[in-house]
Amino acid sequence: MSVLGTLYRGETGYDFVGRRRTFFVISGVLIAISIISLATRKLDGSVDFTGGTIVEAPNEAGVTIGEVRSALSAIGEGGARVQLVGDNDDLILVQTRALSVQHQDELVSAVAAIAGASVDDTNVDAVGPTFGAEITRRAVEALVIFLGVVALFITWRFEWKMAMAAMAALFHDLLITAGFYSVVGFEVTPSTVIAVLTILGYSLYDTVVVFDKIIENARELANKQTYGEIANLSMNQVLMRSINTSLTTLLPIGSLLFVGSYALGADTLREFALALFVGVAAGTYSSIFIATPLLTLWKEREPQWRRMERRAERRVPELLEQAAVASPARQDVAVEPRSPAASGAVPRPPRQRKKRR
Amino acid sequence: MSRGRMLVMLLVTMAIAFGSLGSSLAVGWTPKLGLDLQGGFAVTLKAPEGADAEVLEVAVEIMRRRIENLGSVQEPEISVQGSDRILVQLPGVQDRQRALEAVGTTGILSFRPVIDRNFISPAFTDGTLEPPEELQPDDTTTTTGTPDEVSGSTTTTVDGATTTGAPDDSTTTTGVTTTTTGVTTTTTGATTTTTGATTTTAAPGDSTTTTAAPGDSTTTTTTVPAPPPENIDPDTGITIEDSPDLEAAYLAAEDGFIYKVGPAFLTGADITGADAGFIGGSLGGGSGWVVDPTFTGPGGDKFRDATALLSTYSTADPRRSMAIVVDGVVNSAPQVADDVAAGEGLEPDEVFITIGSSENAQAEAEDLATILRYGALPTVFERERVESVSATLGDDSLRAGLIAGIGGLALVALALVLYYRVLGLVAVVGLAVFGSLLLLMITLLSRYQGTTLTLAGVTGVIVSVGITSDSYIVFFERIKEEHRRGKALRPSVDTGFKRAFHTIITADTVTFAGSILLWLLAIGPVKGFAVTLGVATVVDVLVAYFYTRPAVTLLVRTGFGEGGAISMRGAMGRDRHSVTEATA
Repeated sequence: MSVLGTLYRGETGYDFVGRRRTFFVISGVLIAISIISLATRKLDGSVDFTGGTIVEAPNEAGVTIGEVRSALSAIGEGGARVQLVGDNDDLILVQTRALSVQHQDELVSAVAAIAGASVDDTNVDAVGPTFGAEITRRAVEALVIFLGVVALFITWRFEWKMAMAAMAALFHDLLITAGFYSVVGFEVTPSTVIAVLTILGYSLYDTVVVFDKIIENARELANKQTYGEIANLSMNQVLMRSINTSLTTLLPIGSLLFVGSYALGADTLREFALALFVGVAAGTYSSIFIATPLLTLWKEREPQWRRMERRAERRVPELLEQAAVASPARQDVAVEPRSPAASGAVPRPPRQRKKRR
Repeated sequence: MSRGRMLVMLLVTMAIAFGSLGSSLAVGWTPKLGLDLQGGFAVTLKAPEGADAEVLEVAVEIMRRRIENLGSVQEPEISVQGSDRILVQLPGVQDRQRALEAVGTTGILSFRPVIDRNFISPAFTDGTLEPPEELQPDDTTTTTGTPDEVSGSTTTTVDGATTTGAPDDSTTTTGVTTTTTGVTTTTTGATTTTTGATTTTAAPGDSTTTTAAPGDSTTTTTTVPAPPPENIDPDTGITIEDSPDLEAAYLAAEDGFIYKVGPAFLTGADITGADAGFIGGSLGGGSGWVVDPTFTGPGGDKFRDATALLSTYSTADPRRSMAIVVDGVVNSAPQVADDVAAGEGLEPDEVFITIGSSENAQAEAEDLATILRYGALPTVFERERVESVSATLGDDSLRAGLIAGIGGLALVALALVLYYRVLGLVAVVGLAVFGSLLLLMITLLSRYQGTTLTLAGVTGVIVSVGITSDSYIVFFERIKEEHRRGKALRPSVDTGFKRAFHTIITADTVTFAGSILLWLLAIGPVKGFAVTLGVATVVDVLVAYFYTRPAVTLLVRTGFGEGGAISMRGAMGRDRHSVTEATA
């Protein structure tokens, strides 16, 4: 029986909880890189955030936006905002980040050259941010309150430890996405902010789906298995769903990324898609490999689950024997010899299903 | 639920989704595209003399707020250009004239008497402001509320139907303190008729609506006409437009109070400027940050009269405060200092607004001074240029985005069908239903709320379709799991849906709560995102219930349930079901 086959039927017995140290190390390294990069390189805000230079030139030559943009790409300002003003496109408007005096002169002569205008007819001025401090402040405020309310909601619906674990996973995703931006040196645009918010929503959604399963299993198996086993079982049960969902989410994003990389003038699209890609991948990863192991680490210390664990330890050899006899289909199931109790592959005893509520 | 009803539900849902999208496209309604995709028009405004950089920032924020009020999400781009110009770019606004007015004038600054002050009750969040319970008006008084905070000062009339009297500039020392006695003394019919003007208030009866009240006794018929109902937000009772001559209810910028304020004592035209500064302990009030406004001659006289009136109230009374209102928002409401004797007016040269010495005091003082300087500006910005502007990204980006999106979604469809067979087909049709409804909602929002779709929005829609497929995956995996536990297919579908729907609701509630909060609190592009996200979430739940459930329930009873490679049973994992069948 193939690995794919077991995956397909949700019968994997991968020990997520037992290997949590590995996952924590991987994430820790990524986060450390992100933080170091954010601290040293900072994030590179676009003209929308920082303000910069605005250049206006009469469009004597009747050029199109695409032509202006390729001329600007030649001097390294392909990310500039280019607009044509007036009913007959008679003015070219270019906005870039603040530039050095020398580079600004270069920009002005490039714009004048493509427009077929003289440099004297070209106006240069400073321009303030459109995505100003006020929008940023309000967005951050909204975000903080949003996270607070979501944490309360998860606490009410599930429990507060889950809320904390979900928040941890969320910050994990945000940090890694921001760190990615900083490492690669992309400009942060208002679109990026939207991308990050999408990631945030996705990450939370994904974590809630996994936790919902854990809650359900914990209710049914509270007296039979340890929290680690329940978490493992839950994650193996939702593993296929997680893989499929990230696939269906990443497919359109990947397609945006692909087309954005090859289509002309779609720089914005490409960067937006890349941010989404990284964020969604991190979001799926963190729900399974960070949020749940963190939660387990914490829950296992509760006296109720501690007792369970001690009982399970006594029971293990007997159960392993049963497993070998009763379920030949599970021969490929990974049972960690060192900590069998942590594996989700313990066969479920036949039981009456309780009607929920 | 019977098979017939399921079938009806399924067909109705699909008819609504495809039919309404089709008809909206047929009449030519399409979502409005944002500035980056479609362009719009640009206005360059030249600030009047005396505007400094900070004042321009205030002007930008006020213009943004006003444009958002025109239609909630228009996503304008407003920036300061050079030292004295403001560049405004708006996506294809329908009412260009109104938009131009919104950005072309400065906000009105007014100093107004505070009549009452209410903390936003929890009711505010669900859209209605109810009067406090013990003051519930009875039938005869439904249209006007009573303030929940009735001060002990001179009660002059019995008038259960009206709210507190409006102070009037001409009656500076008398008759201002009309208060109600509450519901216990219900009014007579005569009262109701004489105060007829007050009963026109459209807002839910509460203490913050702007009812025009008679100056004092119940026999007076010279009431200030109530503002037209459209001037008041029916949900919150907050006055929308700022007109200095009328009573109004405004939200405070910071502290979460709603202020009911009277007609203005003085306006921005009465002051010439303001400075923030730090003063030492010489004034007896300790040291701290203050704002020092300077008045014109007549403005100073008005201010002296105003403070003489306010100082007649006790220090515990909110009416001792003067609200500084800018463009319909109470910026702050300083109280006349407690050492000012009753009836004594403040000399305009000696007025300080004390902010305090806390950590933020300097910033607060500077902000207030900027607001006052802004208010002192002449009310018109000079329009230098009004021109149409092209999109920043243009057709090629939109086309690339759409091609990529359609390609990506085709891959999603392929993956779903390969994996879930006939169930995958259900999901693909479901995603089409979802997409149609989402597009329809966005079209409607764009028509009635001015929502615009930017490139980020378009990609957001595409991505949300991908994310929505999760609802199907959760459901289908659930069916598989139930089936593996030994249930037959049909009951697996039923239990599977119940459980999956529970999960979907929980997860979507989190997202929906988030989008509502973002929509309420954020401004600019973030607000636009919140709309798309919230709509997508609601549609997701609706589609799961009204489409997916009947579709799968019916499917399992047809030939597609059991036989063949594309069947549901095929999607369950074939070599395993013989085992489950045996144990079942």
